[in-house]
Amino acid sequence: MLQYAFQRVLLALAIIVVAISALFTIMITLPGDPTTVLLGPRATPELRAEFRANMGLDDPLLVQIANFWGRILSGDMGTDYNRNRPVAEAVFSALPHTMALVFGAIVWSATLGIMLGAFSADNRNSWLDRVSGILSVGFIAAPSFVVALYSLLLFSVTLRWFPTIGAGEPGDLGSRLYHLALPSFAIGLAWVGYVARIVRASMLETLGENYIRTARAFGLTRRKVIYNYALRVAILPAVQVLGVGIGGMLSSAVFAEIVFSRPGIGSLIYDSVSGRNYPVVMGSMLVAIGFFVTCALIADLVNAALDPRQRVK
Amino acid sequence: MNDLKSTSIFTNLTRRQLLAGSAALSAATMFPIAAWADGSRLNVRAYLEPDDYDPLDASGFLEELLYGCIYRKLIQYVPGEEWNWQLDLAETIEQTSPTTIAFTLKEGQMWSDGFGEITAEDVKFSMDRHMVEENNSRIKPDLGTFTHVEVTGRHSGIIHMERPFAPIWTIALPYLAGTIICKEAVEAAGGKITTAIPPAVSGPYRVVEHRLGERWVLERNPDFSGEAADFERVDLIVVVDDSAAEIAKEAGDVDFTSIGAGSVQRLRDNPPAGAQMTVHPALFYHWVGLNMQNPKFEDIRVRQAIMHAIDVPSIMQAAFFDVAEPSTGIIAPGLIGHRPETQIPPQADFARARELLDEAGIDRLEINIDVLNNVTHTTTAQVMQAMMAQAGIDLNISVHESGSFWSLGVASDGDRWKDLELTIKRFSMTPDPYYATAWFVSDQIGDWNWEQFSNEEFDRLHDEALSETDPAIRDEMYRRMQDLMEESGAYRFLTHGVTANLFADSVAPATRPDGQPLVQFFRRA
Repeated sequence: MLQYAFQRVLLALAIIVVAISALFTIMITLPGDPTTVLLGPRATPELRAEFRANMGLDDPLLVQIANFWGRILSGDMGTDYNRNRPVAEAVFSALPHTMALVFGAIVWSATLGIMLGAFSADNRNSWLDRVSGILSVGFIAAPSFVVALYSLLLFSVTLRWFPTIGAGEPGDLGSRLYHLALPSFAIGLAWVGYVARIVRASMLETLGENYIRTARAFGLTRRKVIYNYALRVAILPAVQVLGVGIGGMLSSAVFAEIVFSRPGIGSLIYDSVSGRNYPVVMGSMLVAIGFFVTCALIADLVNAALDPRQRVK
Repeated sequence: MNDLKSTSIFTNLTRRQLLAGSAALSAATMFPIAAWADGSRLNVRAYLEPDDYDPLDASGFLEELLYGCIYRKLIQYVPGEEWNWQLDLAETIEQTSPTTIAFTLKEGQMWSDGFGEITAEDVKFSMDRHMVEENNSRIKPDLGTFTHVEVTGRHSGIIHMERPFAPIWTIALPYLAGTIICKEAVEAAGGKITTAIPPAVSGPYRVVEHRLGERWVLERNPDFSGEAADFERVDLIVVVDDSAAEIAKEAGDVDFTSIGAGSVQRLRDNPPAGAQMTVHPALFYHWVGLNMQNPKFEDIRVRQAIMHAIDVPSIMQAAFFDVAEPSTGIIAPGLIGHRPETQIPPQADFARARELLDEAGIDRLEINIDVLNNVTHTTTAQVMQAMMAQAGIDLNISVHESGSFWSLGVASDGDRWKDLELTIKRFSMTPDPYYATAWFVSDQIGDWNWEQFSNEEFDRLHDEALSETDPAIRDEMYRRMQDLMEESGAYRFLTHGVTANLFADSVAPATRPDGQPLVQFFRRA
């Protein structure tokens, strides 16, 4: 297990380095002069020249990439030239909000998805199974921003159950969770469908296994066989999918953060890319990719811990 | 044990107690709503985050939204329908010569946090620092020919200019560059404001907290020397999306927001309960520009044909939801230099366009237009595409995201600026015409003058109008400049757009004539 974990960590680091370097190259080669976009029309040519020099934009691409990694290895994410503040300040103040949003979405999708999938498998081929199937596919097909807007209209404007904007009062966990419920639901709903379908398929496969037949033969109740024995194994693929799905949730977080006016890495990246604010783009991408790779790594390790066959593979 | 305990609680509960408990719970959950609804708190939407702590770094109205609440100026804009200014810190202020303005400050106007009285030294410090090269002030151009402030007494001074600069009254003093900060406090902080909570403020509110990416939390400034603000707390909440802002207003989470033009007609037809909407002519200007130096457009008849083939009323209907009026130039109504009408009527004349193309010996013209990826401009381009086909012009549309679009005409970002053909742009504006014409002088080619329009008379008039203090003569000069722009065949003026605001009945908002909020003057209704 230790060797497996070590290999996975090395692979994760390699993914981060390659992904960030590739992104850096794409970003620098994109048309769009950051001095024009960031400083606006009133900036003097002298100010623009100084700005370019400070950002290192006149250096060759490879030098810029090397400088970037040099700074990162020394613990410096650079300076947000638009705000004259350290990039780390912007990124790490946004990160907890996005992590909360993504974990909230995972909680919604795992809880509802597993329940729906197990329920479908338990009632396979019945009309309830078919309704559950339609619902799952409907959830998958609904774009997050549409879910977000309609959730707002229903739960916030009509029913007034949830707030429409913001991340809640700092230091007040209740307020934070209250503001988190709707945006995380908007992101997690599509994954409810995925998880439900996967859990259903996996469950049906598991229910055909010999050990399940043995358990039934020993006279265990149907409920106990399904929920205590079959479900434990059947949720493994869902864990894997959710681990990888964090990338998709991070993308959806951009919309959720804009629609619900929440701070977060998604909206930070969106604003910075539009504004060609390179240091902030790179800092936030580094953290977002790191977050995604770490979650995928954790999913791999959890899977390996739960299912020894994964380690052998 | 737990089961027994829970049984004892719930089995002993009578129906009367249950009802009483429910009522108490409801009352408890209502409490924060009640506190919210007492009107002591004001939530104002900001469409982007004001994120520059020091006026040196300020880039536009978003910073003004914040600074207006926490700092004061010699003069401020008057809320209402007409552009005008009123005294703020200044007790008197007058132009004593074409290049000097003398002022005296009201006595007893205080800084917060024990920094004492606001003096002429603070005015000098605040304005002079924009002229210091190392400070890299982003708004230095707003000060024009300003050179320095001369302190003549504790409460008096003289503003000096190198040569007359008319916009000092309309842009420099009542806007960002005129923001007065505390010399003693800022010098003690190292010469620059680098924290969200400034060392000293003077406005009706002070900063409590800046939640990065989310909101600014302000509270009433107890040291404010003017009439106390009506609201205990003001939140400037960042809501980027217009639809989200409108929903937040409907849900009661914001009290004042601007809304998209697309919502205006719907809200006029179905006014929301407990809210009001106002629609103001905006200062922005949208136009279709044509790169005169592109070989395709060397012949002025081709340029004029294209302009005749653009039907502005159709664009107003489709892209501006019929709530905006066609513009006559780049200077909005109510400002010096506004033209009453255009030379080419807003309605397209396809026959004339075809005639001009025939004269130029062109049977079929294929041209490209670059637009920003917003709905308004992409719809405008689509309308143009459909209309221009009637005159034998095939229009190809290229859509760009903002970073890419705003460098299309910039010479320092490659050669794309040379090959540009048509573009649709919207520029922001301040209440002085010089700010509109500044981008179309010859020096701006390769920068913001994407049409590569170069006209000696235009350049000369722009320069002279800056120093002209007679409003009537200035007015005539700016009208002539827009005539020259239109005669070039490089510009089809579209509209200034509108600013629509939606606000709660409980709020009496104060806005500039262009609808931008002056939160420092907001009151409870």
